[in-house]
Amino acid sequence: MTTTGEDLIRRMAAGDREAFGRFYDRYAPLVYPLVVRIVRDRTDAADVLQEVFWEAWQGAPAYDPGRGSPEAWMATRARTRAIDRVRAVRRRSATFVPAMDEGPAPPEAGGDAAEQAEDRGVIRAALARLSPAQREAIELAYYAGLTQTEIARRLEQPLGTIKTRIRLGLERLRDAVRRAP
Amino acid sequence: MTGTHDVFDELAAVYAAGALDGDDLVRFESHLAEGCEHCRLALLDSREALTRMALAGPPAAPPADVKAALLARVTAQESRPARRPPGRASWVPWAAATAAVAAVAAMLSGGMVASRYEARLGQMARETAAVRERLQRNEAALREQVAAYRDTVELLRDPATRVIELRGAGPSPEARARLVWHDAAGGHLIVANLPPAPAGKAYELWTLGGPAPRPAGVFQVDASGRATHRVEPALGPATRFAVTLEPEAGAPAPTGPIVLASR
Repeated sequence: MTTTGEDLIRRMAAGDREAFGRFYDRYAPLVYPLVVRIVRDRTDAADVLQEVFWEAWQGAPAYDPGRGSPEAWMATRARTRAIDRVRAVRRRSATFVPAMDEGPAPPEAGGDAAEQAEDRGVIRAALARLSPAQREAIELAYYAGLTQTEIARRLEQPLGTIKTRIRLGLERLRDAVRRAP
Repeated sequence: MTGTHDVFDELAAVYAAGALDGDDLVRFESHLAEGCEHCRLALLDSREALTRMALAGPPAAPPADVKAALLARVTAQESRPARRPPGRASWVPWAAATAAVAAVAAMLSGGMVASRYEARLGQMARETAAVRERLQRNEAALREQVAAYRDTVELLRDPATRVIELRGAGPSPEARARLVWHDAAGGHLIVANLPPAPAGKAYELWTLGGPAPRPAGVFQVDASGRATHRVEPALGPATRFAVTLEPEAGAPAPTGPIVLASR
């Protein structure tokens, strides 16, 4: 009898602080690495994480499950806030260059979280099936917050090529997710 | 839409990745605003896939003080009155009143109290009151506008918020409007190029989608044809929106011509 993320958000909307604590315990460890990856500074990441969960607490009454899972609700918000933070930092220091991807992901430990780990494995396998060019375009958009025009300029490719790479890459990703619900 | 929808599939993918810009962005948002269910579902699907990608790394515990700080904020919020106090609401009238007092004091200290100054003092007092009233009105209008902009930005941060385009119709083909709309939170209608309503008339917004149009507030445009109108969440389904010209007090059902409509 597990409580779903949706249940927790519904209780948060009603002002249930205990539900908020549980919601944080469940989603913060998932969202935090995403924020760290984008802002690349642990102090900034902790600030952003706090803002993201504060907004979730405040915005819980507006959550609509028909418009996305709790994971998507949180990841979308975390990405937006983290990119806002990077832009603010960049304005302060003109030398900032968004760094690209780290090396291959470390091997997954087994154990209690085995099911979650398996799910992550599926997604990583899907990511590995994207062509390096497709993956690069999607990651520059999603993690570095660049627009299609900026990506085209940076990679010195025609705009149409970048659009196609993003579309094909995203299609493969969607296929993989559909097959591993 | 017609024939080749493929181009929108591509725009939808780039939009989901957060990278659409320029004319493509305007074009795709208009397409979405026209209610393309295919693209709406594609976006939801893409967003879930990108979420799975984004959260696919090994989980990591954030610093413990983040949770402590959040819970402290929640507690602090509960012990505070629901809304922020009005803040610096009263300094402008005070400044005006203080200036008037200083002017009067300066005249008195000159020792020139004569009957002809009484009329002048009365006039100054009336002018001061008028200035004060005008400042208060301006300040209230500005504060309202800032609140509307802030609210709109907050809304746009919510993934559930849509931007719906309304196009001019009937007597005002040049008019344009965008509605920043959230089903649960309501939204803001931002209007441009709409001629000011004739005397005794006003514009009224309607939500469509139920059995009959529902009134969603009356508004006026300024001399440059612009308006920002706060819209409360609809009580029923709201899939389309329209604006008509109505008597100043508004009408329970549309009677005048449609001047703006979403597709």
